[in-house]
Amino acid sequence: MRDRVDEIRKQGAELVIVGNGAAQFAEAFREDLGIDGPLLVDPELRAYRAAGLRRGRVEVLSPRLAGNALRALRAGFRQEGVQGDPWQLGGVFVIRPGGELAFRHTSREAGDHPNLDDVLAALAPSAPAVEEEPPANPAVRWIGRGLARIVDPAIPVSFARPGLQLRSLAFDPSDLDVDLSGRRCVVTGANSGLGYEAALALADLGAEVVLACRSLARGEEAAERIREQTGSSRVSVETIDLSDLASVREAAARLVVQPLDVLIHNAGLLPEERIETRDGLELTWATHVIGPHLLTRLLLPALEKSPEARVVWVSSGGMYTRRLNLDDPNWQAREYDGVLAYAETKRAQVVLAELWAEKLAESGIRVNAMHPGWADTPGVRSSLPGFFRLTQAILRSPAEGADTVVWLAASPRAADVSGRFFFDREPRQTHYLPWTRESEEDRRQLWQRCEAACSDAT
Amino acid sequence: MRVATRLAGIELDDWRGRPLRLGTLWQEQPVVLVFIRHFG
Repeated sequence: MRDRVDEIRKQGAELVIVGNGAAQFAEAFREDLGIDGPLLVDPELRAYRAAGLRRGRVEVLSPRLAGNALRALRAGFRQEGVQGDPWQLGGVFVIRPGGELAFRHTSREAGDHPNLDDVLAALAPSAPAVEEEPPANPAVRWIGRGLARIVDPAIPVSFARPGLQLRSLAFDPSDLDVDLSGRRCVVTGANSGLGYEAALALADLGAEVVLACRSLARGEEAAERIREQTGSSRVSVETIDLSDLASVREAAARLVVQPLDVLIHNAGLLPEERIETRDGLELTWATHVIGPHLLTRLLLPALEKSPEARVVWVSSGGMYTRRLNLDDPNWQAREYDGVLAYAETKRAQVVLAELWAEKLAESGIRVNAMHPGWADTPGVRSSLPGFFRLTQAILRSPAEGADTVVWLAASPRAADVSGRFFFDREPRQTHYLPWTRESEEDRRQLWQRCEAACSDAT
Repeated sequence: MRVATRLAGIELDDWRGRPLRLGTLWQEQPVVLVFIRHFG
């Protein structure tokens, strides 16, 4: 590639090289090969992962490796030692201003390089854009479905990144090959973590996105990053504190004036100590349950104006451990435990999503809940530092955690389903432990509690 | 999500340790973005 830099530059483009070793190796690499263009280092493999490049021993040590190595030797290349991740494979992309993809090659094994004439041809202004995602291979999807069944019971594998990697083999890339132009989406807690990634993905698909955040400054900063990344100007911020019902009412009054296609209840927290809101509610209960319930109710007129509105509740796998608790949801009679409060309210979100789906069955508004698995989010880092230290090597990225949120919000495949609980784009059972099952009376009481709390706020 | 969008927000250091946001690379011109397996 470096031999043809002049040809690349003649076409008004630049060659940019990304390597995964440390900076000192990059400097030596640059000097040895006489590279004078941008050379970047990515020791954490963030860009490699974002680009969808392959990594693994099977991929590197493929049967075709010997042939590739022989070709490299004939071309005068001598491997002198690996400076970087030995199991990471590479790739080549041609990206035009505006982010249009004109060429993609993701190596299948070591030594699998693209034809350079094809790369140069992609730089021609008349060259067509290429598909963002390669078409799904039916055999690979079938294998992916089989592997998913195997990893499902193994929670550390299933909830962490390997679970998604295996299940994503069965994903159909065309599910998210959709144009959301003309759709309006509201994402709560969208200034970081899963909410940010969901907002980013929806904006990238063409939707107008409203980042509903507590902090205007942090929301505006996130909105600006999304505008930069997607080139979309239809990204705005609405201030809302889900734990404060007056704030929910004020924000809803501003949001309800236009039709709404997608509402994503993502805002969440895990306080160490019991905090009572000015409405007299425990903070987690208010933020995860009562506030979102009120927001849903107040935004119904806007959702009803959409031909296929969707409401997505971002719950947590931690909810599997807890039963719906209506005896003391505000933690007035118990010693406070933030992790249990979190899990109980996440259980309540799943039940509430089912109840909303029942209420809205005739309206065409689809309501589903999901859990993202174990993802590396600012919330996990700050609230569960021990868990983060233990699992950080296998945590999903925020974008990976948000995948099913985006799929539920945007995919035509999710258009007809309501009242279900999803994980990795598949509906899941909501109970694994028999003592976590709630009764019909519990469900009725949850609805009444939410309605009463919202009425108190009027 | 488009590959370019996923990459655009990522900031990497160049070989001298200067941070660079990937999205700025294709703001004005096309780029050939090559991910190599490793240095050396």
